[in-house]
Amino acid sequence: MRVLHIGTDSFGGYGGIALYNRDLIAAIASHPVVTEVVVVPRLLPSVPEPLPAKVAFLDQAAAGRLAYLNTLRKLRGPFDLVICAHVNLLPVARMFSKHPMLMIYGIEAWKPLREMLSNRLARRCSAVVSISDITLDRFLGWSGYEGNSHLLPNAIRAAWYGIRPRNEGLAARYRLEGKRVLMTLGRVVAAERYKGFDEVLEIMPALDAGISYVVAGGGNDVPRLKRKAARLGVEKRVIFTGLVPEHEKADLYNLADVYVMPSRGEGFGFVLLEAMACGVPVIASRLDGGREAVRQGELGQLVDPTSPAEIRVAITDALASGGKSVPQGLEYFSFENFESRTHAIIESLV
Amino acid sequence: MCGIAALFAYGSDAPPVDAVEIDAITERMRPRGPDAGGTWISPDQRVALGARRLAIIDLTDEGTQPMTDTDGDLRIVFNGEIYNHHELRARLKRLGATFHSTSDTEVLLQLYRRDGPGMVDLLRGMFSFAIWDPGPRRMFVARDPYGIKPLYIADDGKTFRAASTVKALLAGGQISRARNPAGVAGFWLMGSVPEPFTIFEEIRAVAAGTSFFVDERGIHDERHYYSIATTLGQGVRDEPAARLVDPHVLVRELVTDSLRHHLISDVPVGAFLSAGIDSCALVALATEAFFQPPRTVTLRFEEFQGHDVDEAPLAERFAQRIGSEHVTRLVARDEFIADLPRLFDAMDQPTIDGTNTWFVSKAAAERGLKVAISGLGGDELFGSYPSFRTLPRIVMGARVPFAASALSRLASRPKAKALARYGHSWAGAYLLQRGLFLPDDLPALIGAEQAEEGLKRLSLIEHIASVLDPDPSSAFGRVATLEASLYMRNQLLRDTDWASMAHSLEVRTPLVDATLLRQIAPLLLVEQQRCKHHFAKSPRTPLPDWLSERRKTGFIVPLADWMNLPADGTSTRMRSWARVVMERWS
Repeated sequence: MRVLHIGTDSFGGYGGIALYNRDLIAAIASHPVVTEVVVVPRLLPSVPEPLPAKVAFLDQAAAGRLAYLNTLRKLRGPFDLVICAHVNLLPVARMFSKHPMLMIYGIEAWKPLREMLSNRLARRCSAVVSISDITLDRFLGWSGYEGNSHLLPNAIRAAWYGIRPRNEGLAARYRLEGKRVLMTLGRVVAAERYKGFDEVLEIMPALDAGISYVVAGGGNDVPRLKRKAARLGVEKRVIFTGLVPEHEKADLYNLADVYVMPSRGEGFGFVLLEAMACGVPVIASRLDGGREAVRQGELGQLVDPTSPAEIRVAITDALASGGKSVPQGLEYFSFENFESRTHAIIESLV
Repeated sequence: MCGIAALFAYGSDAPPVDAVEIDAITERMRPRGPDAGGTWISPDQRVALGARRLAIIDLTDEGTQPMTDTDGDLRIVFNGEIYNHHELRARLKRLGATFHSTSDTEVLLQLYRRDGPGMVDLLRGMFSFAIWDPGPRRMFVARDPYGIKPLYIADDGKTFRAASTVKALLAGGQISRARNPAGVAGFWLMGSVPEPFTIFEEIRAVAAGTSFFVDERGIHDERHYYSIATTLGQGVRDEPAARLVDPHVLVRELVTDSLRHHLISDVPVGAFLSAGIDSCALVALATEAFFQPPRTVTLRFEEFQGHDVDEAPLAERFAQRIGSEHVTRLVARDEFIADLPRLFDAMDQPTIDGTNTWFVSKAAAERGLKVAISGLGGDELFGSYPSFRTLPRIVMGARVPFAASALSRLASRPKAKALARYGHSWAGAYLLQRGLFLPDDLPALIGAEQAEEGLKRLSLIEHIASVLDPDPSSAFGRVATLEASLYMRNQLLRDTDWASMAHSLEVRTPLVDATLLRQIAPLLLVEQQRCKHHFAKSPRTPLPDWLSERRKTGFIVPLADWMNLPADGTSTRMRSWARVVMERWS
């Protein structure tokens, strides 16, 4: 089986979707019936990681619009399976298959797209693979798609994380000595004001003065949040880390006593898996994909992000429960399970 | 759903509580709770609690009230339903609490023990309750955010009294029947008595979304823990999140979540079905969520046959479409006339509404239902009353220099003439929109002296304006707040309570839910009047056009035909009906 993967970024990419695509490509390539996976990236912000066997990574496509089109023009089929790894790329995937398999993740698939062509193409896919139930349900709600659909939640390689001794240097850098620490990690940008930073900030005045809140991530919304923290009188208890280097992430999570993300726009919430893999109790949202990352409350607490009282009580309860442990059941999201689910999808298509 | 009562002789010189009084109050509420009843009096005879129970969650005797917690310490009487009691129970168990029943009443006791007065912020439901805490010798009293469940109190400075109905408090025999001029004036002006006033001088309503303590100092630490205006105002902040999702889908998710909570019950839940979008979409969503439709009930009146106000044919067609076990109940004039004495007896305070709910509740009870869902609140939530269009126009128009005064001089209709006087403010415009009579009409109705005193105490414009504090910051938010805080609370919800409870039926209102409002407020502000359209399209199989495009008619009964009412200058003849109500209500 020859597979074509048309996506935004994967190897050499940043963020959740790039990681998801890397896992997906690796899982596809490991299936015995797959002979080759041809990957055409739109973006390549850094040096690609080592490629799995059977993967042909056409990095020249990421050199610009012209290079991308050139690479597509030179691509030789046929492909037994064309994967469109972003709904916006459906017109591109259509060049290689009338009925590609569409991957959907989150907000990009929660309402009709601006391009009518993509909306029409979305209905004609051979299969839709969604990172979460909520994303699938929201996609089905507007798209009119009635074909096969599959769930494929994120994978977490728990061994990369784990409960670690406190990194004192990092704690000193962020003035967290002797503090109980709440944390949210994500892009802090004005266009994505649905991560839950505001909601946590707003309850900080009601929490014990020994509790600090780490806003882990950078972006253009940091100045507004800083002003808000000052207005609420909690500026000394709120730490803005800026962009977190990948190699510091696990140590940073380990500084947290509670990871709290009362969000409204997460397709899944991979960061919740990362925090849990570090043994940090997590609080996720009932109103987006976060609830699926904690398996409907089995692995962590759920809150209504519109209820400050629920968030406050959940934080207080989590802090009172004390101790860190990787929740039993996190292995549901292991890479091995991800790979098995991917193989099952391939087999259903074969 | 129950009727509850509480007495607390908190003053050192107050006489002990009287067993006869608590028995009489509780007995007056028997139709609210025909399944069981009980009273408890503290050993020192300073506190008495009473309850009548309609068993819906935990049908065993373990759910009987007054209930004590596992330590045998706290005691509670509770009217209503806590729809998130499963989640709360799970949390409390995780924190070490133990339970001896599966009832939501016990969850309230444990939650109070854990979170104190802050417990009310965690509740999703309709409720009023009183918890006696013997340690600090105080009573904690609370009412739900929207005021779905009633709670009335009387406090003479020595003894605190509370009950689910005004008439129950009177039945205790210790409260004066002297009328409150503000309550009387409020009825004539708005068609129902505006809270916190009641028709009686010594009784007042506990404000919706309020909790307080009573101890040796009397009532204190009154906390307004919920405000519709605040919720809608805060919705502005979260508009970006509402724009992420297709509106039909978001409405479906949030309303279905409310439905899932509102359908928690240990007895079958039916539904009132009309030919309107609210009840049909609710029934459709409930059918999708639970894979089978609820039993449905519709009223039919011969007087309406062949007219577009006859909802029965379309309701039947819709019931057939979704496969519900449906009953259309014919109501004729003879039955109405025969029911009138009982109807007025059940009517807790004078009101021009409630007859419709009386009969549809009666029909549901005849089918053996104890619980029914209603689409009540859909117009307030989704902005589909004419007031959402007219109020902003009145306010804007009245602020145009000379326009209102010119219109007032030229107009012949009383409300148009009053435009210059009232139209410039949201509160005044609301009075013009919803008022049954205007203040100038009062002397002719109740006498000059009563009118003057009533208007002075009522301060109607200030009273209406108070619900807009803080300002919901949008025209849509202001109208939604006014309608939900005044018309819906003082009339629709209150009338639904007495008219359904008279038939021992609990009516649940999934569209009147503080959690739903909080979650959906950003979308309401983005989509405004389009929300009703989104609601109609929200089921996976959207409502058919013959329902969703139908002209709105409202849930009306042929009162005018039945009572031979004179027109009295209003198309609805409600003014004439108000006179009948005031004459016959007791």
